Amino acid sequence: MTSVLTTQVAARPDEPSRPARRRPVRSPRLRAQRTLLTVTVVAIVVMQVYPLVWLLLTSFRTAADFAGGNPFALPSSFTLENYGRAFSTGNLWLNIANSFIVTAGASVLIVVAGMMAAYALQVLGFRFSGLVRGLFLMGIVVPVQISLVPLFIDYSRIGLLDTHLSMIIPLAAFALPMAVYLFSSFYEYIPRETYEAASLDGAGPYRIFSQITLRLSVNTIITVVLVNSIFIWNDFIFANTFVLSDGLKTIPLGLQNYIGAMGNTDWTATFAAVCVTVTPLMLVFLVLNKAMIQGLESGAVKG
Amino acid sequence: MTDTTTARAGAARPRPPRRRTKQLSTSMLPRRSRLSVLVFLVPPLLLYGFAVLLPIGQSLVLSLYKWDGISTMRFVGLDNYVKMLTRDDVFWTAFSNAIGYLVICLVLQLGGALLVAGLLTALPRARELVKTLYLLPAVISTVAIALLFQRIYSLEPLGLLNQLLGWVGLEHLQTAWLSNVSTVLAAVSIPEGWRFTGLYMLIVYAALIAVPHELEEAARLDGASWWQTFWRIRFRYIRPVWITTTVMATTYALRGFDIPYLLTNGGPGQASELLTTYMYKTAFVHTDYGYASAISVFIVVECLVAVGLIFLLLRRGDDK
Repeated sequence: MTSVLTTQVAARPDEPSRPARRRPVRSPRLRAQRTLLTVTVVAIVVMQVYPLVWLLLTSFRTAADFAGGNPFALPSSFTLENYGRAFSTGNLWLNIANSFIVTAGASVLIVVAGMMAAYALQVLGFRFSGLVRGLFLMGIVVPVQISLVPLFIDYSRIGLLDTHLSMIIPLAAFALPMAVYLFSSFYEYIPRETYEAASLDGAGPYRIFSQITLRLSVNTIITVVLVNSIFIWNDFIFANTFVLSDGLKTIPLGLQNYIGAMGNTDWTATFAAVCVTVTPLMLVFLVLNKAMIQGLESGAVKG
Repeated sequence: MTDTTTARAGAARPRPPRRRTKQLSTSMLPRRSRLSVLVFLVPPLLLYGFAVLLPIGQSLVLSLYKWDGISTMRFVGLDNYVKMLTRDDVFWTAFSNAIGYLVICLVLQLGGALLVAGLLTALPRARELVKTLYLLPAVISTVAIALLFQRIYSLEPLGLLNQLLGWVGLEHLQTAWLSNVSTVLAAVSIPEGWRFTGLYMLIVYAALIAVPHELEEAARLDGASWWQTFWRIRFRYIRPVWITTTVMATTYALRGFDIPYLLTNGGPGQASELLTTYMYKTAFVHTDYGYASAISVFIVVECLVAVGLIFLLLRRGDDK
């Protein structure tokens, strides 16, 4: 990335072909430009991130401070009481556990089903594979709303309403097209010789899947899981439609309930609850952000 | 997140020979049975069929009926569609609101993405940090975002936005953004734009830094200005990715639901009602499953038409 940058700078017309390593900013115009650029970027980033910082700060404010004070001011005193109230009023641990179950279940389903379909389409191949591929790809632009009413009816017929599965199934199914696409575009690059060698050793399609394809897919699996986790963890519409009982509520529903349950909303406690529920995903994101960013970028650009 | 494929399939057309031969000689394995194909293909297809394909068919059928979920279904033919297109003012309000929502989201997401990605390629350092911070809102759930923006827009007590207006001397603009009919649509669109602009910025950025420098250099040597280089070289080069991004942002905005539903539930009146929220209420508040299905079929058609239009417009530009 830095090399990219230096070549760019070196390519400026007013600074012709200068060795990349030592590039003192000499012309005042260039320096002014760069300062302006930095200031702009910083301003944009501050605007983008400030609401989240404010949310965090508010979760440490006292209720009186929040009600009366200037919203931009720093909290007059830091308090953890909001977090205490957040845990005592809501069902945060249960919501977090439910979100974990749904995210894990749907991720496993997406990965397994996505790999299998991509393997059948790309590696095994069959006569109507083009048609099936098209069927999957179409799913990428289908809005989830189309499935709400039919699934609600189907679920109530087969008794699946108000279960973890009722959320896991559509979340996985609507994420499947993208996963199939990512896995197949990766399988496309596994050379045919790899399979031929294994075949000569007597491996059939099942062994080749579990011993070669699966093992080579690790990076793509990580990409698929990371990217989808964001959307599944935060899913609101399926949970809101198919889940009724408190015991199954995921984080988004739990947070929403918060407000209704307390009538006159306890904002500082609500923001504390938001901060608690954002933490798991935020930690994963910050720790793995390189992998996640690469995954998001590759999803659209690779190839 | 998704829609890359469609654009890629189109973008990949110019390099066909290898791909085509590969698809003709179906298998990469020397030995495979028909059974093994079924073993791998059927489970994913069942999942996909049950939750995506079957519901599409069911919606099409249901949209021809009048049904409240309890009494017997009554076949009404195309009446739901006729009602929707000719007799229902709320539907058209929701439709034009959805277009407004789409436009605001596209400007914020794509415009913002291109601007920030362009700036970022010129930034000397800390690019990774900027990328991470800029993407941060995408990690937050829509419910949390709705709660947050409820406070940002609030008038009593003074929320962030109104306070800011007060400081710069624009007190007369202070308003309760979410209950003012003329501001509410923008107010519910902006959080959605804000949330995902980082995602599109990443994609556009990755495409921009992949533009070969020889191209830019050549253009510069020919005396092209920075602006010309940007539009004529870099933007032209990333067009396939730009189409992808536009398709993603458009279909996502057309199915946008959470934030308007949570912030205003379509109100006040129908001022922020989108097709999605209208469909949801029709289905699960008024339990008019037939009519709701007709609206959801319309949403799908709308998405497909939008994707078709994007390809038509952006790809035609390509041929020139």
